Amino acid sequence: MSTAENSLAFERIVRPHFDRLYRLAWRLAGNKAEAEDLFQDLLVKAYGKLDELVELDDPGSWLARVMYNLFVDGARHRKRQRLRFVEEGSLPGEGLAGLPGPDDPHYDSRRIEQLGRLDAALKQLSDEHRTVVLLHDTEGYKINEIETLTGIPAGTIKSRLHRARARLREILTADGTLS
Amino acid sequence: MHDTDTDKRDRELLALLGAYPAPEPDEGFYERALARATHVGSRRQRNRWLAAGFGSALAAGLALWMIAGAFLGNPDLPQTDAPIPGITMALEEPRTVNLVFSSAAALERATLTVSLPDGVELAGFPGQREISWQTSLDAGKNVLPLTLIALTPAGGELTARLEHEHRNRTFRVRVNIG
Repeated sequence: MSTAENSLAFERIVRPHFDRLYRLAWRLAGNKAEAEDLFQDLLVKAYGKLDELVELDDPGSWLARVMYNLFVDGARHRKRQRLRFVEEGSLPGEGLAGLPGPDDPHYDSRRIEQLGRLDAALKQLSDEHRTVVLLHDTEGYKINEIETLTGIPAGTIKSRLHRARARLREILTADGTLS
Repeated sequence: MHDTDTDKRDRELLALLGAYPAPEPDEGFYERALARATHVGSRRQRNRWLAAGFGSALAAGLALWMIAGAFLGNPDLPQTDAPIPGITMALEEPRTVNLVFSSAAALERATLTVSLPDGVELAGFPGQREISWQTSLDAGKNVLPLTLIALTPAGGELTARLEHEHRNRTFRVRVNIG
């Protein structure tokens, strides 16, 4: 195939999965810059494996798994850096920027305040717990889908989910967010 | 079925998690990502720690905005005479401070160094008193959100030093623990 044909074939395979992959990148990275880099890295890597990609029955799962592995590899690399970079999403609030503002008729100050507290509480979880609870309870991934995505046994995922919820419940009850 | 307080909180928590938002990509992001991926030699050149969402009314509700005029394109503007802004935060309660850098021109490879007072940490960077990194600034306003956690009641002064080529500016924020 020519380069143009390759590009078209690639786009035809990956584009239907863009929204889900973008959200996955956000849930893994927790910030826009890193999420978009992760998304970009995935496409670069996937394009290099176009021959393999065209043969897959479920390219969406394959793409998600590659993205997860890229994220894990990137996290390991960051931990080795002597000088650590401030990542916008390690800081609460940014992910809520798309919610209605006070001028919007759908503005709900109490709800937004609750989500802000949830945002801050999520930052207090470990990466492993936060990822599981966001994939399962926010994005609607099933346990077996998370298992396929991450390679982590279902039992471990369930345990992390249970602990993550318990910790969130504890934090959000203490600050009055939950009744 | 007996409805315990825990059951109720679980339902509330799940409802909250279900509503936890993720933003949409910027317009054209997918097309740009595709183009980069399919063109040889395209390499990402992104280090966008700067939030694009300045002006968000929600953010204003969540965080204290500290406006720090960098104006690196205009070195004549006064900087040091401005009163030092301050924030008051509770012990062990995360608080987001957004530093806003206004630059007259886009700057490549600027170095930003944040120094924290004793007993105050940046969320995600336990035990680190000074954090430094390179980044680029767009012309106009650039936002750096910092989430601080006070571990002791001492407080002190947070400084953010922005360096580009031979110029630099230091911004100070007084952190009071109340």
